[in-house]
Amino acid sequence: MSSIKEKFNQISPSEFFYRNRDLAGFSNPTRSLYTAVREFVENALDACDQKGILPDVHMSIKAVDPEKPDPKPYILTVKDNGPGIESKHVPLAFGTVLYGSKFGLKQARGMFGLGATMAILYGQITTNKPVLVKSSTDGKIQDEFELLLDIQKNKPVILKHTTKEVTKRGLSVSICLDGDYAKAGSKIKDYVYETSLITPYATITFDDPKGEKFHYSKIVNEMPPAPTIIRPHAHGIDVETIRRMMVESQFEIPNIDDAMVEKVRKDLGLAKNNLAFTGIMDKAKKRWKTLSKPVRVVIALMSFLKMDFDKLNKIRIDDIDVPNKKLYYWDFGDSQSKSVDMDPESQYYKQLTGTVQGETLTTFLTKRFQRIGPSTAVKFAEFAGFKPEKRMGSMTNEELVKLSDSLQKFEDFLSPDPSCLAPLGEEPLEKGIKKFFKPDFCEVIQRPASAYSGFPFIVEMGIAYGGEIRPGGPHVYRYANRIPLLYDEGSDVVLKVVHDTDWSRYKVKGDPPFVIVTHICSTRIPYKTVGKENVADRQEIERELRLGLQFLSRKLAAYMSKRGQAEMAKKRANLYAKYLPLIAQFCTELAGKTKEPNYKKLLEEEIIVDDKQS
Amino acid sequence: MTTNKAKVRKQKAIEKQQNIIDALKDHGAKVYGDLDNGQFPKFSIPSRSVSNIVYDKKLRQYILGNSAALRSSRNSSQLRSFTQLMWLAFFANRLTQEKKSSTLRDVYYSSQAFAIEFEDQSESDNIIVDLEAVLSKPREDFHIFPEERSSIFGDLNIEYTIPGYEGKKMNLSNHPDGYAIGPSLTTAELVDTSAEIVIAIEKGGLFTRFVEEQVDKKFKSIIINTGGQAPRSTRTLLKRLHDEMGLPVIVLTDGDVYGEHIAMVIKSGSANAAHLRELTVPDAKWVGVWATDIEKFKLPTIPMTESDIKRCYDLQSDPRYQEGIWKKELDVFLKIKRKAELEAFSKYGLTNITDKYLPQKLELAKSL
Repeated sequence: MSSIKEKFNQISPSEFFYRNRDLAGFSNPTRSLYTAVREFVENALDACDQKGILPDVHMSIKAVDPEKPDPKPYILTVKDNGPGIESKHVPLAFGTVLYGSKFGLKQARGMFGLGATMAILYGQITTNKPVLVKSSTDGKIQDEFELLLDIQKNKPVILKHTTKEVTKRGLSVSICLDGDYAKAGSKIKDYVYETSLITPYATITFDDPKGEKFHYSKIVNEMPPAPTIIRPHAHGIDVETIRRMMVESQFEIPNIDDAMVEKVRKDLGLAKNNLAFTGIMDKAKKRWKTLSKPVRVVIALMSFLKMDFDKLNKIRIDDIDVPNKKLYYWDFGDSQSKSVDMDPESQYYKQLTGTVQGETLTTFLTKRFQRIGPSTAVKFAEFAGFKPEKRMGSMTNEELVKLSDSLQKFEDFLSPDPSCLAPLGEEPLEKGIKKFFKPDFCEVIQRPASAYSGFPFIVEMGIAYGGEIRPGGPHVYRYANRIPLLYDEGSDVVLKVVHDTDWSRYKVKGDPPFVIVTHICSTRIPYKTVGKENVADRQEIERELRLGLQFLSRKLAAYMSKRGQAEMAKKRANLYAKYLPLIAQFCTELAGKTKEPNYKKLLEEEIIVDDKQS
Repeated sequence: MTTNKAKVRKQKAIEKQQNIIDALKDHGAKVYGDLDNGQFPKFSIPSRSVSNIVYDKKLRQYILGNSAALRSSRNSSQLRSFTQLMWLAFFANRLTQEKKSSTLRDVYYSSQAFAIEFEDQSESDNIIVDLEAVLSKPREDFHIFPEERSSIFGDLNIEYTIPGYEGKKMNLSNHPDGYAIGPSLTTAELVDTSAEIVIAIEKGGLFTRFVEEQVDKKFKSIIINTGGQAPRSTRTLLKRLHDEMGLPVIVLTDGDVYGEHIAMVIKSGSANAAHLRELTVPDAKWVGVWATDIEKFKLPTIPMTESDIKRCYDLQSDPRYQEGIWKKELDVFLKIKRKAELEAFSKYGLTNITDKYLPQKLELAKSL
């Protein structure tokens, strides 16, 4: 029997993504080119959105050697007029994986800014060329970097860094990567086209490798309202997130050094006077309300130690043992560890335990989560089986799991705050649809905010019929957080809802020229795959889609029946124009007259006819 | 006296034509007036739906009830048929004025010259029936005739009234194949006859036999071949022979339920023509072949089909089959469920029907 000693290696995030690049949509040259385009364009749009700048994005794809057959190296460049990135952040932002500013909870196209780095990584491994980043944050000086990624160390390697004077702010990223434009071209063109539909406030230009230019000017001049960053909702939380939030909520025991002692003295107004212990305590009591938290903690410690500032300087606090109500410290003078008992009845005891064990459960809930008030917090504590004043810091692992489970299960929380969402809005959506499809009929709706598993979402929809829309509809344009979803249509919740609809009920028949646009906005879109192409059928989202589509379909049906009536009226008018002259001709001869009767006014009359009348 | 009578008849015929022309003109003037006043013209057409067909015991025929349908040019779904009807009135007016005749098929094709489309002939036939209903006159009155398939033979002098033949006389026993009963014959003056009875017979084969056997002479009769269900022109002629010449009419049909009904239609009309009068000969008598004759004369029979039996049951609910020989014979047919054709008599010799059966039936007819 031989034993094998397994070797565990820690791998860097770069290496992890390098090994799992299929997950992020870089599985082959066709898909990779398309994904890279998406990641850069979306980053550019997100950057502009965040600063309230009307985006002007220019994208170009050039073959390194146009004569070579696909797949071959291409240079992809995306340039925007956004805020740019500060010079010192550029190497980290583009040269490491998992560096980004998108960790807050609000709606954005990309979640963590991973995609762009993945594209750079992919470019580097397929062509071994550096990424070229040009950034200007002030519109005067532009920093230009040539970077490579050290995959093992997850660190940027700066090959070149220069600066030059410019007149425009913005960011330009250029990579060289293996791609197959022959196959990816139509998808990329669709992507640019569809993106400009859902971003009517952006100007997007695309120069393709064959020399074709696609230009989509902005059609609205106002940015949709920007989303705000908000606290998470209780339903969308897990144990790990709670742990991270607790760290934020706890104060460390202040390090009592000379500076700290100076500060306490100053705050108590004792900078020059040297009072004895009781005098210090009296002074502290009087000024308690004005004292900062660290100072209060020091005072509390002093109250149990019964020491003045001189003595305090000669010890080091080692531990505050709340369950045993003991305070341990190291006495430099005696060179030994000592302890004092803490009186739980003392007002300072509360101060100390609060510091060590963090906030109470109710404070934690009301302060760290959205839409939880004090009474809901108390109700929840009862539901979860915790004392409301239970300190967060005193929770065991099991209790944290129980808390997390209970947060998911408790049903009396208000639904998530949608202010972190950035729907496009009905008016820009309608303008976009009208501009793009030039339909005879267009109707849009923005559903009220809803939520699934603690994540707020809003569904926006538009429907358009006739005009220049090609037949064979419904053509469905799906968007999520202003990203067009082009691949994997089959398994998408939007298509499920559309296909479930019996269109003949809405007077839509045959081969209709007919478009449906859906936009799902959420802090987290429940994608089925990492490739962000189809949305899973969450019940709440499906319901909103269904209600939205029903509303629009009814409007369409009303339009169709009006259109039908207009067609009928026209058809009827033609009938009268055809038959009345004949009747006039026949009756003239029958009646033995020579001149035809004046039937013309009947033709002009608005005719209301009840077809059922017999 | 005879000439005077003829004059009256001629006068009557002219009046009849004039009535049609006047009626058509009235309708035309009304439509003209409506159009001129900015009104949508409309026709009231007596409803021919089953619910509006009732049996009139006094008239002894089916007639239409009081309900009528309004066909308005205002209603887009009726506009087309309104125009068709208007065109037909216009066309009928021309035919009548010019004394020209046309067939149902002619009408169908003539319409195309005026950009009036009929889907098929049955649509144009329907419009013709509409006009009959509006005018309460059979289509023959406005010179539209069915295809001819019935014929007449016997000593009857007639005088044509149709253009080109006016005044021309003819004796209907001059040609042994008989004369087709068409527009010229239906509109001709019936001048005189030596016959004392009219024998209407269902089948062309028997008609030829009757002519060969000189039934016209032997029984002083006019023989008419109805060619199955008697066309309306033939029924008009039968009525005129009865009314104008005072001749009794007897009907001889196959011994089955359809034969019995052929006789009934001559006597009291059909539901199809409930909108028309003057097509019936209420005194006409059905003399055979009866169901009871099948037993009596030991005729060779064939079994009734299912549709024959169904037809029997249908007729049992017809008010005209509730009494007399009509009911009795129908019941016997249903009982024996067998039928016999007129030709069945040939089993006993080709002339058996004229030598033996016909004389008996003629004798019997007097007592019916």
